[in-house]
Amino acid sequence: MSATTATRRSAPTLEVDRPGSHRQHEVLRLLPTPLLIFVLVFLGALVLIPVLYIFLASVNSDIGVANGEFWPSTVTFENYSKIWTSVGLATGLTNSVLVAGATAVVSAALSISTAFVLVRYTFRGRLTILRGLLALQSVPGTLMVLPVFVLFSSAATYLGIQVIGTQWGLFVTYLTFAMPFSTWVMVTYLRGLPKELEEAARIDGASNLGVLFRIILPLSWPGIVVSGIFAFLLGWNDVLFASVMTRPESQTAAVALQIFGASQEGGAIPFYGQMMAAALVCAAPVVILYLIFQRYLVGGLTAGGVK
Amino acid sequence: MSTDASHEVRLAADNAAGRAPRNTEDTGQQPGHKYGMRRKGLSERNRPLWMLIPGGALMIIIIVLPLLLGIYMSVLNLDQYTLRKWISAPLIGAENFVEAVTASPLLHAVWLSVSYSLLAMVVTLPLGIAAAVATQNAFKGRAVIRSIFLIPYVLPSFVVATVWRTMLQPGGIVDEALGTVGIHVGLWLNGPQTFWTLVLVQIWASWPFIYLLALSGLQSVDHEVHEASALDGALWWNKLRYVVFPYLKGPLALAFLIGMLHHINNFTLPFVLFGVPAPADVEVLPILTYVTSFQSFRFGLSAAMAFISLVLIAIPLFVYLRAVKLDDAETPGGKK
Repeated sequence: MSATTATRRSAPTLEVDRPGSHRQHEVLRLLPTPLLIFVLVFLGALVLIPVLYIFLASVNSDIGVANGEFWPSTVTFENYSKIWTSVGLATGLTNSVLVAGATAVVSAALSISTAFVLVRYTFRGRLTILRGLLALQSVPGTLMVLPVFVLFSSAATYLGIQVIGTQWGLFVTYLTFAMPFSTWVMVTYLRGLPKELEEAARIDGASNLGVLFRIILPLSWPGIVVSGIFAFLLGWNDVLFASVMTRPESQTAAVALQIFGASQEGGAIPFYGQMMAAALVCAAPVVILYLIFQRYLVGGLTAGGVK
Repeated sequence: MSTDASHEVRLAADNAAGRAPRNTEDTGQQPGHKYGMRRKGLSERNRPLWMLIPGGALMIIIIVLPLLLGIYMSVLNLDQYTLRKWISAPLIGAENFVEAVTASPLLHAVWLSVSYSLLAMVVTLPLGIAAAVATQNAFKGRAVIRSIFLIPYVLPSFVVATVWRTMLQPGGIVDEALGTVGIHVGLWLNGPQTFWTLVLVQIWASWPFIYLLALSGLQSVDHEVHEASALDGALWWNKLRYVVFPYLKGPLALAFLIGMLHHINNFTLPFVLFGVPAPADVEVLPILTYVTSFQSFRFGLSAAMAFISLVLIAIPLFVYLRAVKLDDAETPGGKK
């Protein structure tokens, strides 16, 4: 970073001033050490205690969780074998992977070509489209769910296309709602790519498609990964549309868990252990994706500011 | 970030992936300047505009069309009997709107939504800033801490809500923990305290977002600024207050707007945390709209509520769209 250059500049007045040296550290210091440690410990505990609790409760007995135990008195991994049928996670996860995965792939493909046109060419209405992409990201799902539902049921009534209750309906919905954000991510990404290569290719006679596939695509994998993952997460995390537009056999994991949780109200002790085990299993793919692609994703998160 | 690196493809690619382009000067603009003229000639002819069609068609069919349909539905008398043939449902003009404002919990929901969003924002701001300031300078294990800090934001909302719902059960882990220090709060998931429960869980889930944007702001502080304030012997608090925080204004203003939009639009968290019918004190706008549709089957009324909430959301959205730089300065499209 700029640390080295700045060090060089100030060298005459300060003797030993390498990055990482004590003196360098003092210059950059923002907080006194005790306060720094307090902030780190406090926020770390704020995050880690609930996260640790998910795991501990998932191997605890339901009575143990109900009594407010943090450390389980009896440890059992039974919950992890029960959730596939009791919560319906086997079906749920399959559907989630299918729908969210398809959404990710198709939306990444569509958004790179859309972004390519938006970044590299000029035409009337271009700014309007860019502004629209941002605005559409903020359209609340609750506003859309009813009309989309009505539209889809009309497709069944008038066109004979059954969409409600199938994975297709969810796929098309998620794809559309992922597009504005995915495209925006690709737009910001493609802007960062140098134009020289592209121009060289054009001078060599490459067509528009040739430029997109031969030049842009190979350079854009980080951007494609980010926009694909966000599309995946949109499908994976959605409860609203999935709760309205699915049947038990097309349910996603999110809805399966939500319904399982809601059905535990009243009566005997709820199956807390299974709920936590299922929550952990649903969270795992997301956390793993995040850890693998963390470097790219953090930039993307701030770029679009939308989860 | 260096702009002369544009020939080094990998470097530029890495930069582009890791930066926060929205709130600072975009890196791509300088190299483009000199090519502006040449590119213009090239892009005027043979533009593959057809590539916009698939995405555009989708957005028109699944977003724009339903949006218009929703507005139309708000003036219909639409219930579970007339929904099937909504085209021939009776027109009732503004009746749904009148009912929404005068005879439904809508205004209460607006109040709840706005106050809960603001409250959550007021607490997440200092948390996020503190986290960013604490992890700005290198120390052993910083990478791990940064990853940990982002966990709540990465976890799916339905997971966060399910977990807190379990932790906040009467006699559950939270009650137990607070009980050992002599605090007895009472019911978290029912009754008047639910509002605060929602605020607390939202804070837990969304402070890392502020953290991210604050971090991107801190990274724009020049090293010279650190040097200067060190030479002046500035105390840490004064340095933060007068030297560092001014750099955070832009990113945090953005974080505030986006965060407010997120909170106001958040359906999953209250829905999974409290279930439906939700306690009256957490019947925020998305929940009320959903319940009116899919529990009471008053579809027309619900569409009217949705329309009203769109107007509410349009306020921060408008500010946001005005603030965001849509384009690089170099792009000829700017001439409009």
